[in-house]
Amino acid sequence: MRIHITKLKKYYGERQVLDIDDLIFEEHKITAITGPNGCGKTTLLNIIAGLDKDYKGEIRYNGFYLNKDITDKMTLVFQKPYLFKRSVYENIEYPLKIRGLSKDIRNKKILDIVKKLEIEDLLEKRAHLLSGGESQKVALARALVFEPDLLLLDEPTSNIDPDAVAILEREIIRFNEESKGTVIIVTHNLEQSKRLGHRIVEM
Amino acid sequence: MNYILEGFKEAIRLLISLDKEVLSIVSLSIIVSTSATIFASIISIPLAVYFGIKKFKAKRLFSRITYTFMSIPSVIVGLVVAIILSRKGPFGHLNLLYTKNAMIIAQTLLVIPLVFGLTYGLTKSRGDVIERIAFTLGANKWDTIVLIIRELKVDILVNIATAFSRAISEVGAVMIVGGNIKGYTRVMTTTISMMNSMGDYPMAIALGIILLLISFIIHSLIYSYNRED
Ligand SMILES: Nc1ncnc2c1ncn2[C@@H]1O[C@H](COP(=O)(O)OP(=O)(O)OP(=O)(O)O)[C@@H](O)[C@H]1O
Ligand SMILES: [Mg+2]
Repeated sequence: MRIHITKLKKYYGERQVLDIDDLIFEEHKITAITGPNGCGKTTLLNIIAGLDKDYKGEIRYNGFYLNKDITDKMTLVFQKPYLFKRSVYENIEYPLKIRGLSKDIRNKKILDIVKKLEIEDLLEKRAHLLSGGESQKVALARALVFEPDLLLLDEPTSNIDPDAVAILEREIIRFNEESKGTVIIVTHNLEQSKRLGHRIVEM
Repeated sequence: MNYILEGFKEAIRLLISLDKEVLSIVSLSIIVSTSATIFASIISIPLAVYFGIKKFKAKRLFSRITYTFMSIPSVIVGLVVAIILSRKGPFGHLNLLYTKNAMIIAQTLLVIPLVFGLTYGLTKSRGDVIERIAFTLGANKWDTIVLIIRELKVDILVNIATAFSRAISEVGAVMIVGGNIKGYTRVMTTTISMMNSMGDYPMAIALGIILLLISFIIHSLIYSYNRED
């Protein structure tokens, strides 16, 4: 999904946190966003995701304004993930369930994604009791499982150990290559932005 | 002092012997208040969640009005229902006044604002995060409401229990629309109130004990469920 932002301005009260004249996120590409704390990275992702409608300017998604068809095909993984008070399995199942997929297909997709992310052992656990890093992995699985066109990631590996980071990065790249998904990832890790990003945007 | 002691003794005897009249009064109380709580919950919980996450201009005013209605006196609800159901009232032809169904209607209306207000407040403070997640995962309005109810179910259950406690312990509404007719619309609170005015304490005390017991059981259940979660 191609995202084109023009003349975007965002204020919190008097204070301006975003001023973007023209910015394009190319389709099928991974763009890494970096920048200091408080420069508005999370705010920008929220706006692109349609969670924050209180801004000036325009955003086009493949040329269209935001609508339900588009929001159905994109997702945002939060900096602090929130998982439902159910099992990990049911968490990952949720986006598939509301899309009306059959039980067999749901099961197949869930097992596939947890295998890729190497979190099979978490499946039966109660999700809200997981550690921070485990939660981030499950949140990513819940986002990848329905194969969105646009994946917005807000520091998805901030709580994750080096081995697991490698797995997550591998899967983000695989998602981009195999499903042709567009990815926008916010990261403070310069190495990571180089490893993943076809392009790096400094804010 | 003696008559109080006698009252207690007689009350215990009534309870142990499972007195027919006591049983019928208690079961009617439970049926009426349970039905009212269920109807009120079905109606108000989805609506409360809907309004709790909805952003609209007059939300503050809406909140204030909601919270005011939560503590509406039961006699007022009873009076309104009695007027509507009275022979000359708009629903007079249904012949509902002084029936069990009239009591269920009155208690339903009494606890709707309570369930609504509590759940609305809960959703306002805790529903936002869940709504945002639901949105990013592609949920529609209805999916979101269902999800929030499921996520907050423990707290919502406490709200329902609170509503049931209010219903089963109120006198005003059931007295006015039920009429405390023996064997027909007599519930625990109306009996206690009547027995008290007649100076007949044993039955009043027996029912008082049962009322407390019911409250205790409900809250123990909720508490243990809460801990499990
Ligand atoms: N709801 C809000 N009300 C007022 N100010 C806010 C609000 N949300 C964020 N801000 C402010 O807007 C600025 C940008 O916040 P944002 O969360 O987008 O930063 P960020 O780039 O994601 O930072 P970090 O790297 O720490 O995650 C910050 O200064 C923050 O304090
Ligand atoms: Mg941030």
